Order: sequence, then structure tokens, then C-alpha cells
Amino acid sequence: MSEFSWVGKPHPPLKMEGVPKVTGEAIYTVDVKLPGMLVGKILRSPHPHAKILRIDKSKAERLPGVKAVLTFEDIPKVKYASSFRDMPMATSGTLQPPDQYVLTDKARYVGDPVAAVAAVDEYVAEEALKLIEVEYEPLPAVFTIDDALKPDAPQIHDHAKGNIAAHVKYPFAQGDVEKGFAEADCVVEGTFFVPRQVGAHLEPQACTAYVDPTGKVTVWSPCQLTFPLRRELAKIFSLPEGMINVVTPFVGGSFGTRLSLYCEPIAIALAMKTGKPVKIVHSKEEDFSTLETRTADRVTVKAGFKKDGTLIAMQMKVYTWAGAYAARAYLAGPILLMWGLGHYRCPNTDGECFVVYTNTTPAGAMRGYGNPEASTVVEQIMDMAAEKLGIDPVELRLKNVKKAGEPSNLGPCPIESTYEDECIRIGAERIGWWEKRKLKKQEGVKRRGLGMAAMMHCSGAWPLLIEHSSAMIKFNEDGSVNMIINPAFPGTHCWTTLAQIAAEELGISPEDVHVVTGSTDTAMFDLGSHASRTTYVTGNAVLEAAREAKRQLLERASKMLGVSPEELTVKDGRVFVKADPSKGLTIGEIARSTIWDLKGESFNISGKASWSSRYSSPPTGAYFTEVEVDTETGEVKVLKFVVVIDCGRVINPMTVEGQIQGGISQGIGYALYEDYVINKKTGVVESDNFNTYRIATNYEMPEEIEIIFINKPDPKGPFGAKGVGEPAMVGVAAAIANAVYDAIGVRLRELPITPEKILKALKEKEKG
Amino acid sequence: MRGKQVIKLTVNGEPYEVEVEPHMTLLEVLRDKLNLTGTKGSCGVGECGTCTVLVDGKPFLSCLTLAITVRDKNILTIEGLARDKKLHILQKAFLEHGAVQCGFCTPAMLLTAKALLDENPNPTREEIREYISGVLCRCTGYVKIIEAIMSAAEEIRRRGSEYE
Repeated sequence: MSEFSWVGKPHPPLKMEGVPKVTGEAIYTVDVKLPGMLVGKILRSPHPHAKILRIDKSKAERLPGVKAVLTFEDIPKVKYASSFRDMPMATSGTLQPPDQYVLTDKARYVGDPVAAVAAVDEYVAEEALKLIEVEYEPLPAVFTIDDALKPDAPQIHDHAKGNIAAHVKYPFAQGDVEKGFAEADCVVEGTFFVPRQVGAHLEPQACTAYVDPTGKVTVWSPCQLTFPLRRELAKIFSLPEGMINVVTPFVGGSFGTRLSLYCEPIAIALAMKTGKPVKIVHSKEEDFSTLETRTADRVTVKAGFKKDGTLIAMQMKVYTWAGAYAARAYLAGPILLMWGLGHYRCPNTDGECFVVYTNTTPAGAMRGYGNPEASTVVEQIMDMAAEKLGIDPVELRLKNVKKAGEPSNLGPCPIESTYEDECIRIGAERIGWWEKRKLKKQEGVKRRGLGMAAMMHCSGAWPLLIEHSSAMIKFNEDGSVNMIINPAFPGTHCWTTLAQIAAEELGISPEDVHVVTGSTDTAMFDLGSHASRTTYVTGNAVLEAAREAKRQLLERASKMLGVSPEELTVKDGRVFVKADPSKGLTIGEIARSTIWDLKGESFNISGKASWSSRYSSPPTGAYFTEVEVDTETGEVKVLKFVVVIDCGRVINPMTVEGQIQGGISQGIGYALYEDYVINKKTGVVESDNFNTYRIATNYEMPEEIEIIFINKPDPKGPFGAKGVGEPAMVGVAAAIANAVYDAIGVRLRELPITPEKILKALKEKEKG
Repeated sequence: MRGKQVIKLTVNGEPYEVEVEPHMTLLEVLRDKLNLTGTKGSCGVGECGTCTVLVDGKPFLSCLTLAITVRDKNILTIEGLARDKKLHILQKAFLEHGAVQCGFCTPAMLLTAKALLDENPNPTREEIREYISGVLCRCTGYVKIIEAIMSAAEEIRRRGSEYE
């Protein structure tokens, strides 16, 4: 029997987290309605690069029902960073440059906001946008890395010479790569292109803002990082942080896209101007064309191995295709280097990354950013090396995976726990790796292939970024608690996981943990939901707060029962003497008499904690897949996936499985279907909705999915848990790419692997 | 304004008379006029299925359906799926099987699943896959959604009722 009451057991979402979603009562940002609320809309540049010579808003202002029209002249001329300049990188000190205005006088991509209106309804607002007269002076524009790097390329930002937003050297370079390559018995190299990927959450981006008569600003936003958002908004509007309250309703998917700020400052400016609440809801075309996507990157890798498969040198050069503003591309490119060069043990490493501005949609974060990209490249290089060395791909990885205590992928901080080798071994066995590879025949129309990828990710981004979360827990008279947290909640059911952690420690049921959350005013600081951190970092804050509350509970109980606190324990809502379980009190009896104490010793049993993570507990795993490639149509069907995951001790197997299944779906999309198309002449995003940007539907999911948990506790995670949200998709595309190669013997160096690319590659192969 | 009309609809068993303009979609009427915000909008072009409601028991994309074309019809939205504060067995199954993540596609998935089970109380996995293929989900990978529908179908057959 398990030593735990709640940890490790599948738990459906807490009633408060789940039921409103199945009854339609859950309020998302798009559903927020306030008395007197106006509709806000944004006028966006139709040009990829243009100076605004003149804006005349007078006609729009005269339209009945229009309450405000704003242009750059009406907005504080403060540059901001859409992914927050106050996210210090602990190792390199790199900060994203503030390079963006709320409303601009120089458009840098098709979709750049140039004006905004607030009106009584949607139709009037739309009409008003048409009445704003803008005279543009179109400028030459660049849409690709290569064009942006040409010597005569137009300059997108004054501060970035040659359109280079950043040139970052791999901060953890080791040894001497040239010497390493000279000593290697086998060197493989290749250049790969990994594409943009859209978050494609279903809930459109939205925001409602209200400024009350005291000047306090309330913002309803789906942002995953509410406290950093508050800080950036405070800077834009020169307000103290305490005068802004960021409220997070339910969030209809985020996947990293919602790490950044989008229409929030525009909604605030319109609310300030009108004195009314203003709500902006994007169309899906606006979402696809203006929200941050995963970056596209051109990555050149060179890796040197000894005959026995030992990796001894690795070098990477990355060109990160940023959009018109640096956004998270600033971090995504450099972190790609870290995931790529830091995954396997290697004595000689070196790398550099150029983040390149272009006149396109800003790029940066999507689920696991940097790592699915790095994995797609490095895991294919590993397979190429395995073939050249005559070593099985499984064996080659087993030879080179890191062990606990070695430096983590994100810096010199040691790995607290890893079971990557075990993941690889179990996965290979479950998919029948050796048997099937032996039987494989590369003939016939439909050809099957097996592929794999190994994975190491992170549980929070320490030591790269600060990882700070807080939690408060207070007992109510009935023995239930309020847990006050604010990690944002994009649908991972983290309230439930965090309630399981609190309940386990406090000896109560998760349903007796009433979660209080949803605004920066309510809760203490929490960085938010990113980098697979919530269970690990917020979970540790919750555990610490619960420990303190439990200490107070047992101390009070010891006085009431006349025994020492050490003799007591708590389980199933009751505190009792370990040696004599019949002697005890319910938590309700203790909590009630502590709050209502006629002796004048009243207090509220409670605990609060801030957790500032200083550890690296990378989740690890292995992905194995079997695919079938139709050599006549070029179509790839994913038949099976085996995912073995080491995310420490699994707190809630149901939600972890859900994350992995969802990760497989997004990884399949990334590998095979999702194609972000920007018109090469106009800069317009052509894949601007679900009918032109194809995500995986239920038909594309493999018939067979096997998920295996290693389930061994990490020394630093709460109850031994590590992160899992992003790892779920990190190696999926890489495994598919390797399986496609195994099936047809042609390596496609550019995702998505579309039928057209496969047919073209097969034709070229025939020609020799 | 020109062209305004009053139409009658029954939504979740309640009769309504609503003043609409001819261009208004059913989605707008439900969300903005009737304040039934459980029905969500997303793509606006009939691709994602998020806005699905049942019109006379059949799944309809409310973002593409003009309100005036459903006058006098019976409409079921997610708010009408639970009865007398009791969850429908599909709703319970979605929660118990972990078929809900962000929840934004959930109203559409649940109503589509209900229409399926009303037509075909004992669907195969393949039939479920086909029937729900018009509703996109970006979170779950669909596995648990299909499991939940299978399990709810069995439970409803066993009980002979959609409610416990």
C-alpha cells in the first residue's frame, strides 16, 4: 500500500477547477462583462515596414458611439518589452531590450498596432477603424533571416545594427572543440531548419481593463506571468505596482504564447481615456498574425565521437528568426544552444546564436521553447552518428546521457536526479526496438520505420531565471483550509495538484483545500506558469506553507491534549496520539477553538512561505515511435508512441498522462502539419486561422499510446515531483523525424515533414 | 435600425423572444443577448467547432448560423446539459477521465458527444472519432475525451438514463 493518502493517486480536477468547465459557468477573459463596458479594437498596419506620415482620427471620433480614438500621440512614448524586461537571466545577465511601443509611429510588421478605438459595440468600433486615415510611407522590408542579414538590408531598429537583435555565445562552453574534433574518430554535421509553431489555443487573446476613480487599474488577462505583467504595465504607465491588479480568469489554453503581453496596455489606455471598462477580443486572424509563435531557427551542428560512441566535441551555430520585436526570441535562441549542447555529457562544447530581426510577427515562446527545436536537430545528429559509427541509436544515447550530480543543461548547477538511461531502456523494450529494427524492409509502397529521441528538460528555469513562488494556507473553523496561490492556470489543473500536495501534508482531503487565486492583489508573488515549474516551484511553496500550518496545528493540539507535539500525527482530518490513536481531536475542533478562544488566546492557524528555487531537477524521458510512410502519396502516419517519463514522483497520474497525450498531439503537429506561411512579397501571414494552419485532429493521433512513469522521487521537488508540462512534447517531433528516415532512408532536414517534401526527397534519392 | 426582427427561440427549455438583426449569428445572440457565455467562439470560419450547440438535437456551428434561420427551434447549449443541478453522465465522465484541460472546447465536445449518443447509444471508438472530428482540442490529444465518451455511453445504457 502507498505511504501516501493523495500523492500519486489519479485525482479528477477539484470541483471548483473542473465543474465550471463542464457546465459552461467558467468565466474566461473573453466572457468578462462589466456594467458600461466598451468594446476596444485595434487598427493594425497593412504594411510590413512603413513610416506613419500622418494619422487623422477626426472622422472616427465623430462617429456616434465612438468614445475614444488613440494613436501613438496619445500614449506614453515608452518603449516596452513584450516578454518583460525584468526577467533577469541569472547566468548571462541578458535582458530583453525594450523595443516596442504600445501604438507605433513606425510599423515593423503586418499587424503592428497603430491606433485603437473604444466604442459602444463591436460594429461601431469596426466602422470607426475604417474612418481612421493613415498615410504611410512604405519602406523596404525583409522577411527571412538571409534577407535581413544582407549588407544592404533595411534596418528595422536603430539599436540593432545589421538587424542582429542579439549575438550570444554559449555561456557554458567547455574545453576546446577544435581539439575535440581532431581527436574524434567520427564527425557528423548538418544544417537543419526548424519552423515556427503557433500556440493555437482556442480562446482568442483578450483583455478587459478598468480604471476606478482612485486611479487603480484592474486588468483581466490570460497572461501566464501575472506578476511580471503587472511590473511591465507599471513601467509603461509610470504607475506603482500596487495600483495595478492583474486578474486571471480561466484561460482557454496558453502553451507559452501567453507568456507575453499583447493588448493589455491598449485596453488600459482606452479605459484611462474613457473612464469606462474596455474589453478587447482578438479575432483568430489577429491571434495567428500577431501573437508570438515558436521561433524558427536555422541550426548547424557538428559533433565528434570516439569509435565507442563517446561524444567528445559538439558545436552549434544558431540563427534565430525573430520577428519585428525581440520578444522571447531573445531568450529562445540562446536557450536552444543550452538544451542542445547541455543535454549529453561532452567535454568540448562551443556555440553561438544570432537572433535576427525581420519584418514579421514577433516570435519566441511556445511549449518548451528552444528544446523541441534543439531536440529535433540534436537527436537527428545522434542517429546520423549512430549509423556512421555502426552503433545502435539506443546504445549511443545510453553511452552519453548525464548522471545525477553532473552539471545540468541550463548551467553549472548539478542535476538533482535523472533516470534518462532507464527511460531509454524501458522504451526500447516496450516498442520492440531490436526485434522490429531487425525485421525492417525498405520496400513496397508503405514503409514502416522506428524512431526515438531522448529528452532532458527543466523544472523551472533556475539557474537561468529567478524561480520564486509563494503560498499561504489558513485553517477555517470546519477544518478545511484556504490555499492562496497565484500561479495562473492555463488548464493543467495545477490547483488540484497543488491541493493534493497541501492535503497530503495536512492530513485532509484535497476537496477541503479551497483555492483562493486569480489576482495579483489576492496572493503573494508567483512568477507564473512557465518552464514546467508550477508543481516544482509553487508546489514547494505550498508544501512549506503547509508544514508551517501543520506545526501550529500540532502545537495547539498538544496543549489541548496535554501531550508533546512530537507525539502527535494528523490523518483523515484528525490529530491523534501516535501511540494511542483513540486519543485525539478533529482538525475542525482544534481550528474552531483556536479561532474562538474565550481564554483570550485566539489566533488563526496558518502558514505562508516563499520558495526561491536554487536547484535543477530536470525531468528526463524517452520517446519511441513507429510510423508508416506512403511512398506514393508522401503521407506519414504515426502508428504508435511509447513515452517513458521521469518527472520525479508523479503527484497526479491523470493530469500527467493528459499532459503527455496533449504533448504528443502538438509534437505530431510540429513534425508533420503545422506550417506558418508568411507571404514572401507582402509579409502577410497566410496561415492565419485554423482553416489554413493545420493542427493535429483526433485522426492524426496514433492508435496506440503507451505512457510509462519512472516514478522515482527527486530530492528537491515537493514529495519528489519534477515538471512535466513541456517535456510532454519536447522529443516527439525528433522521434518522428528519425522514424521517417528509418522508413525511407532519406533525412528531411526541415520540419514540417509534409508529403510534398517526402515525395521530392524520394525523387532525388532515386536520381541518386 | 433597419431590418430588425423579433424571433422566438427555445433555449435550454426556456422560451425567448429576441430582437435580432439579420446578420447576427446564433453565437452572438446566445452570448451577447441571452448572456449564455458557456458557448465559446474561436475561429469564426467554421473550422474549429468550438461554438457547437445543438439545434433540434443536431450539432450546429453557432458562429456560422444566422439567428433568424433557427427561429422556433429548440436549442441546447452547455448551460442546459445539467438538469436539476445534476450533471449529465457525460459531464461527470469528462471530469472523472481527465478529458478536460483548459475547458474551452469542452462545451462543444460535450454537446457533440450528446448528439452522438442520442443517435447511437453504443458507438464504437471509430464512430466516436468520426463524430467528434469537427471539434478541435489543442490540450488533450483527444485520448481521454474518447475514453470518457465510451465510458459515459456504457453508463447511460446501463442506467437507461442520462442522469444519475
